Amino acid sequence: MFEVRAEMVANVWKHVVHAGDEIVAGDVVAMLESMKMEIPVYAEVGGVVTRMVAVEGTVVQEGDVVALIESALNAS
Amino acid sequence: MTQLETTTPTNAQTETLSSGQILANKRQERLHRVEPRGGREFTALERAEMFVDAGSFVEISPMRRPKGEDPRRTGCGVIVGWGMVDGSPVVVASHDASIASGAIGAVFAENVMRGQRLAIDRGYPIVYINDSGGARIHDGIDALHGCGGIFALNIEASHKVPQISLILGPCAGAAAYSPALTDWTIMVKGQGQMFLTGPEIVKAATGEDAHPDDIGGSRLHTKESGVAHLEVDTETAAFDAARLLLSFVPSSVDDAQRVAEPASPSPVAEYALSRVVPATSSAVFDMNAVLAGILDDSPILELMPTHGTSTLTQLARIDGRAVGIVASQPQARGGILDSKTSVKAARFVEFCGRFGLPILTFVDVPGFLPGTVEEKRGVITHGAKLLRAYVEAKSPKLTVVVRKAYGGAYIAMGAKSLGADFTWAWAGSEIAVMGPGGAVSLLHRRALKEAADPVALRAELAADYRENVARPYLAAEAGIIDDVIEAEETRGRLSDALRLLAGRG
Repeated sequence: MFEVRAEMVANVWKHVVHAGDEIVAGDVVAMLESMKMEIPVYAEVGGVVTRMVAVEGTVVQEGDVVALIESALNAS
Repeated sequence: MTQLETTTPTNAQTETLSSGQILANKRQERLHRVEPRGGREFTALERAEMFVDAGSFVEISPMRRPKGEDPRRTGCGVIVGWGMVDGSPVVVASHDASIASGAIGAVFAENVMRGQRLAIDRGYPIVYINDSGGARIHDGIDALHGCGGIFALNIEASHKVPQISLILGPCAGAAAYSPALTDWTIMVKGQGQMFLTGPEIVKAATGEDAHPDDIGGSRLHTKESGVAHLEVDTETAAFDAARLLLSFVPSSVDDAQRVAEPASPSPVAEYALSRVVPATSSAVFDMNAVLAGILDDSPILELMPTHGTSTLTQLARIDGRAVGIVASQPQARGGILDSKTSVKAARFVEFCGRFGLPILTFVDVPGFLPGTVEEKRGVITHGAKLLRAYVEAKSPKLTVVVRKAYGGAYIAMGAKSLGADFTWAWAGSEIAVMGPGGAVSLLHRRALKEAADPVALRAELAADYRENVARPYLAAEAGIIDDVIEAEETRGRLSDALRLLAGRG
């Protein structure tokens, strides 16, 4: 299981992918909002999204888990 | 390379050998170690030879060795010499991990200091090829004294010549501290490590179980700690990166700036330049696309590419002149400044200033990231380092506000007040004491409280603020910005200013 984490304190604006979606490394999994900027959260690995942990409309701190991904690397 | 048997001449033999044969034997000993080199592909000497221009390496004091040393051991654990890099001399110290894991003994240290002194006195860059377990315990306090001597000369050299450290093996203690006193540190992935002490001593001291890569691997140091500044895949790539780095920097603070053949920006990037910045002020873009449309289409070197990613630090060229670039990167964390990026940018600005490299700052900064986490990290102290670096840098300083510059972060990104020689703002940019949202809340608190539709009023006031307060014309009228320009004019303005300022600083 790979954890995608927030890089800074921010509001969770919207989920871009959802549980069950297949993604590739570099895909945007969620958009955060901080400092009046739209902050994309990128997946470092590809695989299947297991769960979107960060709830839309809530605040994440730096290092908080945004999404869980079952990595294609681990599965193979 | 094969390991040949050493031919240590006995006293009986030496009586019958000619002086030429004795010398040949001594050299043979020096080149063919009896100790294994672990998994290393190249010897210390081969590394030094590979780094410099082919055939140009000359070792200084190759016969240096500790008194009373085990006769099977030759040399003092470090190869010190000089060679040419693109035609300019560079002093090289290459740790020999085949001798007691490259441990730094008293004679090893003296030999390194010999090279450092030559470089400082004559004005040549120093490249340290590090692969050492740290102080040599057998030499006791003499080893520590030697390590301290290397540090002192690292610091003395920093006022005179560029110093680059390459980490090609596990480097502990003094072998990790010396790089921290040099300008730039390049680590080879999966091979180079830096830590105060290795896993065994950590276990003994604190009980913590740590894998070498967890306490000192290249990913840790280039991404999280910021101790090292570049991660490369191979030793050859480390040598190439160091050579590229040296191509931007004069050999010493007394030498002229490096000028290469001028090159135009990439035509594709230049054509796209005016459309890189999105219309929506909250949308992100890649600042590299802006830089590519302005700078020469020639090799650049990005330092600390994976640490503090919302601010870019790069060595590049404009009209062939070497320049240091500090740029907000909105694509990463909105381009904010924080503790990490402040320290990263401050270090880079300080380096450029020391060696007279013009500093070009490209700004799209929403502010310093506020909050509990950053305050605990001491963002005030770290942010102040960036202010100090800009003020103290005496090289030409040119600043371009590409999209927005708010508050303290506006100042910290090379503002006129910090000594920028020229500052420009793109026509669509915003410069203000804070962003429209925050400013409207403060300025119109009462009106918003009493409004029938506060959301609509807020939007209206914010739009008004953006158009009438934050536009760069007010800053230009006040002389805080020298001129408001179109994106396509940027290269011309920068290159004219650099021509004017060349030789200053």
